[in-house]
Amino acid sequence: MSDTPLAKARARPVYRNIGFGDLAHYRLPIPGIASIVHRVTGLAMFVCLLFLLAMLQMSLKSEAGFEAFRSVVWGNPIAKLVLIGLLFALIYHLVAGIRHMIQDANIWLDLASARTSAFVMFGVSIALTALVVWRLV
Amino acid sequence: MASSSSKFISEWWLQRISAVIVAAYVFLVLALLMMYGTPNAMQWQGLFANVGFKLATILTIIATAYHGLVGTLHVWPDYVKNRAVLSVLNAYTWVAAMAVVLWAVYILFGLK
Repeated sequence: MSDTPLAKARARPVYRNIGFGDLAHYRLPIPGIASIVHRVTGLAMFVCLLFLLAMLQMSLKSEAGFEAFRSVVWGNPIAKLVLIGLLFALIYHLVAGIRHMIQDANIWLDLASARTSAFVMFGVSIALTALVVWRLV
Repeated sequence: MASSSSKFISEWWLQRISAVIVAAYVFLVLALLMMYGTPNAMQWQGLFANVGFKLATILTIIATAYHGLVGTLHVWPDYVKNRAVLSVLNAYTWVAAMAVVLWAVYILFGLK
């Protein structure tokens, strides 16, 4: 039976260990990207916490300190971009955390929902960040 | 075995409880921003002079430091395999988390 023409004609896939050259052919699925970004945003915020406290202290010390923050930090395009990046990190990490806890309750665990909710999560956090930045003069 | 699994479960719950505390504070601050717009020096410093807001802030910073400590300690070993480097990163993580809480207490309750 193993020598039937059908069995001979069918090309068998070959599985090997992957090497660096194969990495380009593998793409992380959207839920995987969402998970990595959750980690990266969390780590980035943790590393920046002490700098954020320094800014909080500056802004609360005196009126001059508050104005110095506005002109020196918020007035600097690069520092402003970093702060807006951290705001996105906070909002994304929060939205991803809500999705994480929904999944803790065994909801949205199938592939289709995991993909859709990951997409929605990126959209919602970008929109919320834009809304907050729009309100920050 | 029993103690390590119960430690895992309490850590699992604490990670979620601390997350909910931080989320509530973030929603509060963002809601204030949306309602009143960017604060000036007087409004900003007045908000942080309020005892209730000071307590909410320190509670949130403690929750943040704990949440960040646990999260970061879990993430390092997935990427860093060298044990010496890992020890340095873990030490940094503990020191940073404690420093954040102590400094925040100074800013909110000690700064004149």
